Amino acid sequence: MKIDHKIVASFLLFLMTVVCIVSGVEFLDMRTPDVIYPSEDLTKIGKLSDYFEELKDGSGDTDIYFFEGKEPGATVLLLCGTHPNEASGFIAGVLATENVKIKAGRLLIIPQACLSGFSCTDPMEGYPQSYTLESKSGERKFRFGSRVSNPLDQWPDPLVYSHFPSGQKLSGFETRNLNRSYPGRPDGTFTEKVGYAIVQLIKKEKIDLAFDLHEAAPEIPIINAIIYHEKSEDIGLNAILNLEFRDLRYAPERSPENFHGLSHREWGDNTDVYPFLMETCNPIQGRLRGRTNSELILTGKSPQYLAAQETGKLRIEYDAEGVPLDKRVARHLQGFLEIVNSYNEFFPEKTILLEGLPEYEDLLENGLSNYLK
Amino acid sequence: MIFWLYIVILVLLSLVIVKEMFEERDWKKQIALVMVLIPFILRIFLIK
Repeated sequence: MKIDHKIVASFLLFLMTVVCIVSGVEFLDMRTPDVIYPSEDLTKIGKLSDYFEELKDGSGDTDIYFFEGKEPGATVLLLCGTHPNEASGFIAGVLATENVKIKAGRLLIIPQACLSGFSCTDPMEGYPQSYTLESKSGERKFRFGSRVSNPLDQWPDPLVYSHFPSGQKLSGFETRNLNRSYPGRPDGTFTEKVGYAIVQLIKKEKIDLAFDLHEAAPEIPIINAIIYHEKSEDIGLNAILNLEFRDLRYAPERSPENFHGLSHREWGDNTDVYPFLMETCNPIQGRLRGRTNSELILTGKSPQYLAAQETGKLRIEYDAEGVPLDKRVARHLQGFLEIVNSYNEFFPEKTILLEGLPEYEDLLENGLSNYLK
Repeated sequence: MIFWLYIVILVLLSLVIVKEMFEERDWKKQIALVMVLIPFILRIFLIK
């Protein structure tokens, strides 16, 4: 029996509608905001649009958590979630927001710098949309987003991305990468506007010390590193030495002077801040990762990377225990605390005194769940 | 501006594909056409 081709077309269109609705509901679920419960020391919650009006109420208008001590001191910016598929940076920001107590100075935390990127995943990667962590109040779901801004906010990508103002050429995909967009511009692309707003924040709030937390694939040479602008070198190396005394190894990496658009380069060149960028090892970002699911985000266990390590060609230490999220967050927080301590040593007249954040060993012993509300 | 220009292009392409679906007599090609249409529809409605 031959079915009329118009009936087949109608049936296929109906099927397409069902597929669009089912997948659409799933995609739209990624626009549900992550919930963060700030500590009692929170002074106020600001918005990125406070520094660049054009972002107001848009998908780049992320929250800024202000913690202000009773004593005056330095102002520190902890920027997380620049790349929403780098979970340890975001979760370190959430943990800090929910636990920090401040005695002197000011701490500003942006847990989701690239808020737009939290509303989608990278195409063709098979990434999960979210992962679940245990907390004191039960299970909490967090979004696992894209490395770059959502194409719905900035599209189409050019074939070649030309960075402003250096003119440096990068692949078109990088045009939506916040950490290639600094110092940004008010009349640029969506991502450049977000970068511009962050630089304005650094200037207007007179930030003294700034952090940008990241992760990278095991095969990327800069994992487990602290990257610093040349003017931050003494503070950074002093912190790295102190971390070595705790048996924590961080590779010191000086920011290349001719690699533009990155926070550790442009924040340092365009503002008075001492910038630092930290990286941990995240197997789900790597090419050898194998099965790609939320379990891999949490455990960092990949048999493929273990096999690669056994060939002797992988630069990092990687063993059967993997690189769990607890450990990656603990590294970020310990690195952050040591750099803050180092800054305080160099500038004793303008210190920042923080409490409530777990030390590396405490976080590993007690687990993330004991620090999430 | 260029964003909305691309959306208009997508709408026009989608209409052409739907028209083609109703003229195509090979069901395998009709399936191929509908598979192309799905990402277009999701982008037109600003879902993905």
